[in-house]
Amino acid sequence: MPKQIYDVIVIGTGAGGGMAIKTLCEAGLKVCALNAGRKLDPGKDFKNHRMPWDMKFRGYDDPKKRAQSYGYMDNEYTAGIWEHEINYTTAPGTVWMWPRCFAVGGKTNFWGRSAARMGDIDFQCASLDGFDVNWPVKYDEIAPYYSKTERLIGVASTVQGRPSNPDGEYIPPMNFRCFDWILKSGADKLGVPYLPDREAQLTQEHNGHPACHYCGNCTEGCDIGAFFSSPRYLLPAAEATKNLELRTNALAKNILVDEKGHAAGVAYIDRNTKQEVEVYGRAVVVAASTVESARIILNSKSRFWPNGIANSSGQAGRNLCDHIYGSTAYGYLPQLLGQSPFPDNVSTAEIAWLPRWQNLNNPHEEAFIRGYSIYPDGGCGEFPELRGIEGFGVDFKREVKRKYPAPVNLGIQAPSLPSPTNFVDIDPEVKDAFGIPVVRVHFRWGENELKMWEHGKQVSREIFHACGAEYEGCNEHPQIPGWSLHETGTLRMGDDPKHFVTNKFGQTHDVPNLFVTDASVFLSCTDKTTTLSILAFSMRASEYLADQMKGGKLSA
Amino acid sequence: MAGQGIERRELLRILGTASVAAGFAGFSKWAFACEPVHAAAKGVEQIKSATYTPQFFFADEYPVVVRLSEMIIPSDDGPGAREAGVAEFIDFMAFHDDSLQYPFRLGLSWMNAHSERLHGKKFLELTPADQTELLRHLAYKKEFRDGEEDGRDFFKLMREYTTMGFYTTRVGLESINCPNLQFYNASPACPHVDDREHKHLPPPKY
Repeated sequence: MPKQIYDVIVIGTGAGGGMAIKTLCEAGLKVCALNAGRKLDPGKDFKNHRMPWDMKFRGYDDPKKRAQSYGYMDNEYTAGIWEHEINYTTAPGTVWMWPRCFAVGGKTNFWGRSAARMGDIDFQCASLDGFDVNWPVKYDEIAPYYSKTERLIGVASTVQGRPSNPDGEYIPPMNFRCFDWILKSGADKLGVPYLPDREAQLTQEHNGHPACHYCGNCTEGCDIGAFFSSPRYLLPAAEATKNLELRTNALAKNILVDEKGHAAGVAYIDRNTKQEVEVYGRAVVVAASTVESARIILNSKSRFWPNGIANSSGQAGRNLCDHIYGSTAYGYLPQLLGQSPFPDNVSTAEIAWLPRWQNLNNPHEEAFIRGYSIYPDGGCGEFPELRGIEGFGVDFKREVKRKYPAPVNLGIQAPSLPSPTNFVDIDPEVKDAFGIPVVRVHFRWGENELKMWEHGKQVSREIFHACGAEYEGCNEHPQIPGWSLHETGTLRMGDDPKHFVTNKFGQTHDVPNLFVTDASVFLSCTDKTTTLSILAFSMRASEYLADQMKGGKLSA
Repeated sequence: MAGQGIERRELLRILGTASVAAGFAGFSKWAFACEPVHAAAKGVEQIKSATYTPQFFFADEYPVVVRLSEMIIPSDDGPGAREAGVAEFIDFMAFHDDSLQYPFRLGLSWMNAHSERLHGKKFLELTPADQTELLRHLAYKKEFRDGEEDGRDFFKLMREYTTMGFYTTRVGLESINCPNLQFYNASPACPHVDDREHKHLPPPKY
């Protein structure tokens, strides 16, 4: 039997992979998608409607497992979904946590849903402040893809006219809660914007997907698909074309090359049989998520590519970025003490945002360059906030009730700048359970992002003061790197093959039939979240790839 | 305000994922505490004292855990730790969490030793007033006394697990009118349209 050759092998089924799969299948190309984990069954795997008492450990997880958790999304409600088998290492001095969802759809199953466009303030950053380089694209090139993406997934927001944030095409926003209006009154006094977030959560039925029912447990997965996820919004369209073959539990090991050093397919480990399998294609798309994609590229060594496929620049793995997260102020609103509870937590705490307001008039206005955003949350949660409440008995019980609607918190999202200190490589000594050399992370927060952190703490405290909130503190340190799940870089795009791995279409400079369509091509992580941009850039790259293949320009 | 959603519990039943808590070994009260009825409406008398056999605590320790949990979250005009089966929850967590076992055991011994020292009797033999008095010195900063650091640590632990055990049950969440016990068919909006700064709200209810 002759070996089957697909048109395209796509590694990964999350935002970047899912969009590539959909776009390529709809273009009539035969696609084999490799996904490192299993397919989830929303009815069984998503426990977002379980109440704490339905959980064995009330949602606090098995004490024996708690220490191994990869962050807030990896908990009792999502047990068995986040990746724990495949290991990685960190260089001496690096603290890095790498939450990975290898299930079909990846992190889109549980993502935070904030979906802001990036703009020329991000793409043309170096022209503004002189640091690093511009992205190889202008906003006008990407804007149509943002629009198509927003129309596809549904983003709830408003047109805001912010210089840092291009507006898009929105469904009605979620409404402000009591505490939003109070915090906003403080932000207004300081001239800091306080606006509806851009949230891919359906405030109305959209393209056949039902409206949200505001249970508030989005990051445990949505059983009805009221927010964008790849398995709900992308993969069914691909499957409908009959052009897709999806292989699950297929852990990509390396990219295969032909006699010219071009991509010929992918070698993967079937995690069920533990056997290595090869699958062949005329082109390969890598979209395994930033760090994993770098690992696959760096592990794809051959006589053509001694440092990893398409890595003649030596840049594969470099420039890893992430968002600093952390509470810049927490406390409570005395105005709301003893008031009736209000359904504040209907969106895992993402209804409003304070989009970047720094360095807009002058890129060097602040002690740091570029900017950050802040997300507020608070009010009545699924567990009352007990901070600052003393004692026991009837009085204690009443005080818990009195304070229940009042807590508020501001959390920062501040981008790290690309730095030579922050990168991934292959650990020369350690292999994973399947014998594949593991990735090693080198990372530390830099001065610029730590200045943002300090600035954010100061402004947050001022906002509290200006609206009459009682300030109780802030995180002593930001969350550890990796926590935000917004890593970018490692296979950056740029015009110069000497300094960049891919061109502006995610096509590797060295290997024309090898593409990258996840956040690893991004120059930096900006103050925005990554998913919407991954979708837009992946759609554009995939259309380009399909055109190239149809034009016969990629016959490997 | 959009508030007329389906009861979450009702939907769970429809989805066939109703409570599995009742299936865990040894729990007599969780299932009750989580039934979709107000325990208070049923009356405290209807709550049978447990035939529960502790998994971790010794027979002489467990009643102290029960008593302390009920002192921390009493049954007043609504259900408390007793109705929520908090002591069983604490026993369950201590049984499964090695890191809790020594602190709980040490703390319970401390309580009795301290009580003997002050009153010549074990904690459970004290009058309710004396029990409350003893606990106040561990719970309120103003009333802290030197030499009771271990007791304060224990009270903190006991309160942490009591609140955890109470506010993760239906009766506990109902006691604070937790809005997440139901769904909403529209994005809930602040109702105070004429008072966005919330400076003229009705007087606090609690």
